[in-house]
Amino acid sequence: MAELNEHQIELISAYIRQHGVAQDELHDDLLDHVCTSIEHKMDGGQAFEQAFADTIKLFGPGGLKQVQQQTFELLTEMNETMKKVAFVFGLTSAFLLLAGTIFKLMHWPGASIMVVLGGGILSLLYLPTLLIHKLKESPRGDALQHISGFVGLGLTAVGVTFKIMHWPGAGFLLIGGMTTLGLFYVPIYFFRQYKQSSNKPVTLSAALVAMTCLILVFALTNMRTSSEMNRGLALISEELANANDRYMEIDALYERAGSSEMVSALRKNASATVALLDAYKHHLIAYTEGVSIEEAKTIRASALNQRFSYDVPTHILFRGEGEHAEFHIDRVVEAVEAFEAEVLGAYEPGLQATMGELLPFDTEKNYTIEGKQVDWAAYHFYKIPLIGVISELTNLQVNVRNAEMQALLHIISQPAAADPPSGS
Amino acid sequence: MYICLMYSNELIKGTLKTVVLSLLAKKGRMYGYEITQHVKEETEGKIQLTEGALYPLLHRLEADGLLLTEKVSIGKRVRKYYRLTKEGTESAASLVEEFKEFSKTMNRLLNNYTLTTAYHG
Repeated sequence: MAELNEHQIELISAYIRQHGVAQDELHDDLLDHVCTSIEHKMDGGQAFEQAFADTIKLFGPGGLKQVQQQTFELLTEMNETMKKVAFVFGLTSAFLLLAGTIFKLMHWPGASIMVVLGGGILSLLYLPTLLIHKLKESPRGDALQHISGFVGLGLTAVGVTFKIMHWPGAGFLLIGGMTTLGLFYVPIYFFRQYKQSSNKPVTLSAALVAMTCLILVFALTNMRTSSEMNRGLALISEELANANDRYMEIDALYERAGSSEMVSALRKNASATVALLDAYKHHLIAYTEGVSIEEAKTIRASALNQRFSYDVPTHILFRGEGEHAEFHIDRVVEAVEAFEAEVLGAYEPGLQATMGELLPFDTEKNYTIEGKQVDWAAYHFYKIPLIGVISELTNLQVNVRNAEMQALLHIISQPAAADPPSGS
Repeated sequence: MYICLMYSNELIKGTLKTVVLSLLAKKGRMYGYEITQHVKEETEGKIQLTEGALYPLLHRLEADGLLLTEKVSIGKRVRKYYRLTKEGTESAASLVEEFKEFSKTMNRLLNNYTLTTAYHG
């Protein structure tokens, strides 16, 4: 029987490697196979070169590389369970994210839980399942590319979820995810494509996931900033400062107004109305910013990250249920109107109509937006960014203090200031 | 895939695993080239295994724990012999049993078919 010499074996081994078989185990198999086949053919009288060529022909059009490719595919075929699991995770998260997005845009209840679940399943279950499969399937050198790709995508997905929920840290997660993709995945991906001089387009599924994430980011984040809004911020702080200053003066006025029943009721109701509005402000800030009520009490207006976001404030004030149930805007309107009536009670009946016009409350007034009649609450609070809502509530507080002060001054100016005013 | 001279690809697809495992059950240990030659001879050339189909399968079966390999040095190269593990032996037996059963059923089904068409024809 013919036996190949060392030189011939090396030649065949080099040929197998050159044609893309990198895996040692497979290389050994193929080398022995080709050598044995050649030896048999040489026994039949063929020359080495001819036998070699004939043997290689048997590997078919895809050649040796295809044998390796098929070996990889067979070795890494997702087993049935894994396939099912990946399918269920992928479908559930896609469905929840899409439904959640629609609910969110329509301001229907239940949007948040869907978005959180969808984003969670996508980034914590679906992507890791795919990553495990990808890592098993590809040569070890590709690990960095796949890990960076999935970490980047995962962080971005979690970041988008946080952004939609207005939870703190969304920006950090998004920047982390995008940076990982930009610094590692994309350069490695293109470098590999270049090295393999392959012009295969980006895997469709990966591109789809990336596109969906981007669309979600743009559809659901309010990144509007305007100089007008920032001027509004400055105004708020001024107003707050003014209101406080005036409140100091009010203490002096109360001393002069005495301690009639009307005066103490006025003082109590004014404080209660201001406190109610404070509670609204803290609740709105806490839920829009994703901080605790205690933190909301100390946060400065200019430090509000979500100051231009209006969906949470509008949801709380107009559709709130559960923990938001007691923060409907109607309660503000009632409280302010009750306080207005209280203040007017300090004046003689003949003066009340005139004072009603002069007091800075206009909750009964109707407004027109784009030809549609809307009430005071809708005009000042519906789809108004957090900063505008807070500013309007502060404005109301200032108005309450102003009306309180006017009423006090009127009481003091009456001759019988110390006595409760009689019906005359 | 098989290079198949007589039968259609669809017909033979899925029996490759049965063929390889039962061959190893019969012969004990074999190397890749030996398996292709053996199948070719046994079937009088009606079925030819190609390298492109055989080696991926052997590696998969090894990964699944059905096969073991033994490396033997032959001059300047290594020859890998494949043999069944305990699990592989069991799998071979049940696959052969299953295929025999299938072939019996097919026989019955197709015999009836021929009779019926003959009757109508």
